[in-house]
Amino acid sequence: MGSIENLVTQIQGLSGSIDDIAHLHNILKVADESLHAEPSALSSVLDQVDPAKHSLGYLYFLEAFTSGPVSKEQALTLIPILARFINCCDAQQIRFAPDKFVSVCKRFKDHVLLIESPLRGVSPMRAAVRKLQTTSEHLTTLHPDFLLLCLLSKSYNIGLSVLEDDIFDVDQPRDLFLYCYYGGMICIGQKRFRKALELLHNVVTAPMNAINAIAVEAYKKYILVSLIHYGQFSTSLPKYASSAAQRNLKNFCQPYIELATTYSSGKIAEFKIYVDTNREKYDNDKNLGLVKQVVSSMYKHNIQRLTQTYLTLSLQDIANTVQLGSPKEAEMHVLQMIQDGEIFATINQKDGMVRFLEDPEQYKTCQMIEHIDSSIQRIMTLSRKLNAMDELMSYDPLYLSKVGRERQRFDFDDFDTVPQKFPI
Amino acid sequence: MASSSSGLTFKLHPLVILNISDHYTRVKSQLHPPPSAHHCAPAAADPFAPPAPAAADPPRVYGCVIGVQRGRTVEIFNSFELLYDPATHSLDRAFLDKKQELYKKVFPNFYVLGWYSTGSDAEESDMHIHKALMDINESPVYVLLNPSINHAQKDLPVTIYESELHVIDGIPQLIFVRASYTIETVEAERISVDHVAHLKPSDGGTAATQLAAHLTGIHSAIKMLNSRVRVLHHYLLAMQKGEIPCENSLLRQVSSLLRRLPAIESGKFQDDFLMEYNDTLLITYLAMLTNCSSTMNELIDKFNTAYDRHSRRGGRTPFV
Repeated sequence: MGSIENLVTQIQGLSGSIDDIAHLHNILKVADESLHAEPSALSSVLDQVDPAKHSLGYLYFLEAFTSGPVSKEQALTLIPILARFINCCDAQQIRFAPDKFVSVCKRFKDHVLLIESPLRGVSPMRAAVRKLQTTSEHLTTLHPDFLLLCLLSKSYNIGLSVLEDDIFDVDQPRDLFLYCYYGGMICIGQKRFRKALELLHNVVTAPMNAINAIAVEAYKKYILVSLIHYGQFSTSLPKYASSAAQRNLKNFCQPYIELATTYSSGKIAEFKIYVDTNREKYDNDKNLGLVKQVVSSMYKHNIQRLTQTYLTLSLQDIANTVQLGSPKEAEMHVLQMIQDGEIFATINQKDGMVRFLEDPEQYKTCQMIEHIDSSIQRIMTLSRKLNAMDELMSYDPLYLSKVGRERQRFDFDDFDTVPQKFPI
Repeated sequence: MASSSSGLTFKLHPLVILNISDHYTRVKSQLHPPPSAHHCAPAAADPFAPPAPAAADPPRVYGCVIGVQRGRTVEIFNSFELLYDPATHSLDRAFLDKKQELYKKVFPNFYVLGWYSTGSDAEESDMHIHKALMDINESPVYVLLNPSINHAQKDLPVTIYESELHVIDGIPQLIFVRASYTIETVEAERISVDHVAHLKPSDGGTAATQLAAHLTGIHSAIKMLNSRVRVLHHYLLAMQKGEIPCENSLLRQVSSLLRRLPAIESGKFQDDFLMEYNDTLLITYLAMLTNCSSTMNELIDKFNTAYDRHSRRGGRTPFV
C-alpha cells in the first residue's frame, strides 16, 4: 500500500515536461508487477490521480485495475470511468505506453459489448483512435474495434468520417484486414459501393502468406458488390494479389462465383431461380440482403445497356426487354435511376417515350478546375510516396539476393560484382 | 563620339541585324571549330587541340548594306557579305561591283548605302574603308554590331555611325559620329524573323523537348511581363505615398493602358478559355496517373520477386 502511495506522489510530481514523463514511464514499468498483484486496492487511488494531467500514471493504474474478468454490473460502473479517461487523456503521454492504452480500450470495447449498448462506446473510441494515431495516415490497432462498434450500433456516418483518411502506415497486418473488411461493410450499409469495392479489394489483394478467413469473407462480399456496382465480375485477380490468394480464394467461394456467371447471362428469371435454390448458403454467410440487392441491380444494368443501343425507346419496350411487369414499373425504375444520376434521360409522359441523353457535364466550370487541381495535388503526394517506397524496395536485401541469384547464371564473361548471396 | 547633326533619320530592318549576326557566327565557328569529345584534355597538354575560342581574338566580318534613301530618311533593308583583304586594308572591290549589279537586277530601287562590321567600337582603320566607299555613296553609313553578349544590356548592340568633317587641331578630318535609328519592319519580315529566332537545334526533334522549349519560351515571356508590371506598380505606389513627385503624363499613359484592358470579355470567351484550361489540367492529370502506374508496376514486380515464395519467374528461367 505504501508503494502505491509513493507512486501516486511521484506521478503527481513528474507529470510536467517530456523528460519527466519519460522518467516516470521507467518507474511505472518497474512498478507494473506490483500494481497487477492487488488490483482491487487501486479503486481508491484512481480518484487521487487526475486523468487529464497525469494520464500516464492513470493509464497504468487503470490497466491494472481492469485486468481480469468482470461481470455485467461491474462493467456498467467501469464504463463511465473508462470513457472519461479516454476523452480527456493527454495524447502525448499516452504514446509512451501505446500497448497499455490499446489493451485498456479493447477492454472498454468488451465491456460495452457485454452490456449490449455499442452506441455508448462509439464516441470515446473515436477519440481514442485520434489520440493514438501519430498522423492521420496511421492505422492503429484500435481502428477495426472502432469500426466494429459503429457497425454494431448502426452509426455508419461516424465510421465514414474515419474511412475518408488515406492510410500509409499500418501497425499490424491483421488490423488492415479487419479495418478494410469492416470499412467495406459500413460503406455497403451507406450504399457507397465504389468505396466499399475499393476497401474489399484491399483485403483480397493484401499480401498474405496463407489464406485467412477475413479474406474469404471479404471475397464473397467483393463479388456481390462488384455485381451491384459494375454489373460484371472478373475472376482473375490482379498480379499484385498474393499467390496464396490467387490459388485458394476461389475454392472457398464457389456458390458466389457461379452466381456471378449466372448474372452475366442477363436473364433475370434464371437468376432468381438460382438465388432461391442456394438461399441457405447465402443466409449462413449473412449475405442474403446483399444478394437481394444484386437481383434488383440487374434491372438497372439492363436498362443501362439499353442506353448504349437506343436513342429513344418506349416504356413498353423497356419493360419487355428488361423483363419487368408493366410500363409503370419501367417508368418507376427509370425515374429512380435518373434521380440517382445513373443515367441521363427525359421521360415524355404523353406518348410514353424515353429519350436517352448524353452526360451534360461540359467540364468548363471553375468547380471542375478546382476538383481536377486537388486530384492532381493528391496524386503528386502519392507519386512522391511511391518513389520513396520504390527506392526502399531496391535496397531490400531479400530482393537483392533473389535478383542477384537470377543474374549470375547469365553473366559468365563480364565479371559481375553482384554477390550471389547476401549475408543477412 | 558626338552625335550626328546631319538631320538624317535612319531606319534599320531586322533582316540586316540577323544577316550580320549570322555572318559573324558562321565565320567564328568555322575558324574555331567547337572542341570535340575526344579532345577533352586541357589545350596545353594536347598539341592537336584547336586553340580555345575564348582566348583568341574574335574575327571581324565585313559587308555592305543596301537600301533606299528618300529625302531625309535612310532606310536600310538588306545586306551582303564582302571579303576583306588584310594586306591592303580594303574590301574586295570587284566582288562588290558584281554583287551590286546582281542586286540591282532584283531590287532596282536599292542602292549601296554603306557598310557593316563587327566589333566593340569603331576604329581608325575603319576610316579607310569608309573613304573607299565614298565614291559609291558620298556619305556612307557604318553599321557596327557588338557580338559580345552582355546580359545587363537591354538594348540592341547595334550602332550606326556617319562621317562628318570636323576641324580638329586646325586640320579638317573625317570622324565617325553616332546616329540614332529606329527599327522598322514589315509584317512578312516580322514573321520570318520570329520563326528564325525560334529555331531549335536539330536533335530537339522529340515532342517532349519541343514542348518543353515552347513552354519555357512562354514562361520567360510571362516572367518578363510580370516584372515590368511590378516595376510600374512600385512606381505608382511610390507616387501615391508621395515619395516621388506626381507626373501627370505618366499617369495618363497608365490610365489609358488600363482602360484598354481586358482585351476580350464575353461569356463565350470564358467558356472556351475554361474548357481549354480544363483540357490541359486533364492531360496533366493523365500524365501523372501514367507516371504513378508505371512506378507502381515496378514496385509490385520488386515486391513479388522479393517476398512471394512461389512467384512465377517471368521469362528468365535458365536453360542448361
